Amino acid sequence: MLANIHSFESLAALDGEGLRYAVFFTGCPLRCAYCHNPDSWFKSSTDMTAEEVFHKARRFKPYFKRGGGLTFSGGEPLLHASFINELAEMLQEEGIGYCLDTSGGVLLTNEVKEAINGADMVVLDVKFYEPDSYKKYTGGEFDNFIAAGRYCSEKEKRLWLRTVVVPGINDSEADMERYAALVNDWRYEQYELLGFHTMGFFKYENLQIANPLVDVPALSGERLEELQRYLDKERQALRRLES
Amino acid sequence: MKNEAAWRGFSKCVWCDEINVSNFIKTNYAQYDGDGSFLAGPTERTNRQMARVKELLIAESEKGGVLDVDTERVLTILSHEPGYVIDKDSDIIVGLQTDAPLKRGVSPFAGVRNAIQACHAYGYEMSDKIKEEFTYRTTHNTGVFRAYNDTMKKARHAGILTGLPDAYARGRIIGDYRRIALYGMDYLIEQKKIDKAKLGEKDYLDEATVRLLEDLAKQLEFMVQLKTLALQYGYDISKPATSAFEAIQWLYFGYLGAVKEQNGAANSIGRIAEFIDIYIERDLKEGKITESQAQELVDDLVIKLRLVRHLRTPEYNDLFAGDPVWVTLSLAGVSSEGKHMVSKTSYRVLQTLYNLGSSAEPNITVLWSEHLPQEFKDFCAKVSIDTDSIQYENDDVMRRMYGDDYSIACCVSAMKTGKQMQFFGARCNLAKVLLMALNGGKDEKEGEQIAPEGPVFEEEVLDFDRVYSAYKEYLRWMARLYVNTMNIIHYMHDKYAYERLMMSLHDTDVERLMAFGVSGFSVAVDSLSAIKYAKVKPIKDERGIISDFEVTGKFPKYGNDDDRVDLIGKDLIEFFYKELCKTPAYRGAKHTLSILTITSNVMYGRKTGATPDGRKSGEPFAPGANPMHGRDCEGALASLNSVAKLNYACCQDGISNTFSITPEALGKDDVSRIENLVSMLDGYFQQDAHHLNVNVLNREKLVAAMNDPTLYPSLTIRVSGYAVNFNKLTRDKQEEVIARTFHKGM
Repeated sequence: MLANIHSFESLAALDGEGLRYAVFFTGCPLRCAYCHNPDSWFKSSTDMTAEEVFHKARRFKPYFKRGGGLTFSGGEPLLHASFINELAEMLQEEGIGYCLDTSGGVLLTNEVKEAINGADMVVLDVKFYEPDSYKKYTGGEFDNFIAAGRYCSEKEKRLWLRTVVVPGINDSEADMERYAALVNDWRYEQYELLGFHTMGFFKYENLQIANPLVDVPALSGERLEELQRYLDKERQALRRLES
Repeated sequence: MKNEAAWRGFSKCVWCDEINVSNFIKTNYAQYDGDGSFLAGPTERTNRQMARVKELLIAESEKGGVLDVDTERVLTILSHEPGYVIDKDSDIIVGLQTDAPLKRGVSPFAGVRNAIQACHAYGYEMSDKIKEEFTYRTTHNTGVFRAYNDTMKKARHAGILTGLPDAYARGRIIGDYRRIALYGMDYLIEQKKIDKAKLGEKDYLDEATVRLLEDLAKQLEFMVQLKTLALQYGYDISKPATSAFEAIQWLYFGYLGAVKEQNGAANSIGRIAEFIDIYIERDLKEGKITESQAQELVDDLVIKLRLVRHLRTPEYNDLFAGDPVWVTLSLAGVSSEGKHMVSKTSYRVLQTLYNLGSSAEPNITVLWSEHLPQEFKDFCAKVSIDTDSIQYENDDVMRRMYGDDYSIACCVSAMKTGKQMQFFGARCNLAKVLLMALNGGKDEKEGEQIAPEGPVFEEEVLDFDRVYSAYKEYLRWMARLYVNTMNIIHYMHDKYAYERLMMSLHDTDVERLMAFGVSGFSVAVDSLSAIKYAKVKPIKDERGIISDFEVTGKFPKYGNDDDRVDLIGKDLIEFFYKELCKTPAYRGAKHTLSILTITSNVMYGRKTGATPDGRKSGEPFAPGANPMHGRDCEGALASLNSVAKLNYACCQDGISNTFSITPEALGKDDVSRIENLVSMLDGYFQQDAHHLNVNVLNREKLVAAMNDPTLYPSLTIRVSGYAVNFNKLTRDKQEEVIARTFHKGM
């Protein structure tokens, strides 16, 4: 089976634990307004078999200590669930684990479930906390994301949550309260906020596609920290309330 | 030998009956598996010393890099009265090269003109007295140029063979300074006398024996002078050291004598930490010192090592920027029996970077092994992240070739301590030889015929097989010329600037290594890849010389873990090494090779025309074995994997890789950064890679420091097998460092 690959990054230490070899697939069912990788929406000239990716990735095994492994990102890696499952068999034999870096924005088919089941951990994007803004800013179905999140939670998958905070869209304390409430009954290890930045803007220009947030400034580091603290406090408060 | 007082409490073994420091260490050192929580901070006295040192460093920098020069006296072991950082009572470890800190001495033994120019460069004039003294004296430099043939001179001028130690002292020789502490000078002198007497009784005194006899006489003379130097500071080193203080002081006297006598390119101090640790442990056990005092001793030694200076010319600085001395101090590693050799003093040496602040010198080199304790690996990673001041070399590959008591000289050159010495040989320019091969032996810049005349490539598009076979022909020629040039240089250096004191601290029947080097490695490799996988059209200028290229199509580039190109590089180096070995080296030396440029990659690039990889004429090369700037686009680990493919067995003088990564790319927080850096080092070295310089910093910080040096006065970065204070680099070298790949992750 072939998959269309955007690129590889041999040192991706932020998407999961330890040193990670990241495979970026092309194609995404979403069109997030704040996407910093719009170039991954389109097909590249690189089609590869699962074996080929495996042989590239295997070379990095010496570095996979203290939790390291592969990270499938994109684009949306779960669009390539069957490919991942084929690759996962080879990885398993070699003793290499993988992490999924996903929006959960696909239908929860059997292939997708299998890809999630095979992962060491999942990094899941919590884009918006209710269907309307989810649809408005990502073009995707809120229900898909909820199903994916619940599935990971039920399967007791190691789960990290992430939300990109965009000034003027989801950067208020009230927003944080809603996010905290949304995932309150999920099992997960951590919830990290990422600040919207403008470093991917040049890609919109290069691709000659409209950048819907061209006038939005980057979120300041201080505000990000403030919101992260607020979110953490809210999450704890909710949990305390229940127990 | 009876040294009951000095050797009290030590386990006795063969080291008691012969000079055998390695055996002493292995039978006495205390392995340490714990973390750094026992370490002590600086004492008030240390802080006072450092305050004075900082004043001196600022004054030195304000005076353009040289604080003072003694132009009246030639610097030798006994030329100057004792000098102190503050005074006799405040300094613990004593001894300076001249009578005042940072005051440089003149050393014209390698070349008078060089010494005069070095004085001029900083606004000084060498005294007539010295000039006269050297008028009737042959220096190393004079000797070399008497013997050079025309081709050697041309190759040197064109920048195919440059940076050779033919006008400056070769350096890279490490005396086994530990011997002084363990045995005392009298025993060492006695042993040398026995060696000399035995040698003189041989039935036939051939040329090699007579030369060695004279060498030994010179060594003996300087061994006696070293005792006098110590006496001037109030210490008698004829007997072995009886305490940690004496052990450090005794071995430092040996090193001091060496750097007074020799201004060689690199004066490394060797593998001393675990040796010193044995004495410190004994004093601690006997209740004679506290941890704080133990640390203070190590701190004070390191302060002295940071103050070593030589007077250099601007041309020299072009090759080796940032005023380095390469007081390389190697530590840790594993014994041949498989026991790690980390001691508490391995930690104490690293701790000096916190107690005294980060610094380029001494050039702390961690001999990495997968068998080092996890706690120690983590501590090293933390020091790297905090200070950018240390480098790593793979003990697991070096131990196979050099045993378990080798030291690193300069950047990456291993040698068995006290048993091997090196003939240092700078490097030849692989990229330029490729251009010469295309131009039938002509220099593409000056147009001069340098190598034997061959056909100029006339075809529209270069054919890989034809180019590679012509390239190999010219590499054969290069290898012969290189070995012969080195033979002249080192014959003359032995004759006119012999390292008497350093060699007296070696075995008499020393093994010799002749260290060759290459520059422009990644440029040559990518150029060959371009010719093989893309279409490269040579463009001739009005002189009929190919001086530019038109490249169409894609080609794999070294630094992306792609065998198609990486294996070309591996093959190229193996071929060149084999060719070097075909011409015998002076004094029976064994040929070794390095892929290391220090900072000369900028100068070599300047002297090299446009290359088929798309590099423009005059553009700097990448340093050492690094992939070319910005071409390693699959991330940091892919880049490391490419370098790891090069074969250390063919490059036993080292494969240098300098690596910069932003803190953000390395991990989210301090703990994960440390863990990830350790995984990176383990993963890289597990593949038999040799060396890694690690910088964890942002490009923005360097740009800010370049534009306003007062922002980060002590910013230290690793450049190429050594560290420099960033502000001491010239603008062009700062720009080159900034242009290097900074791995940012995603």
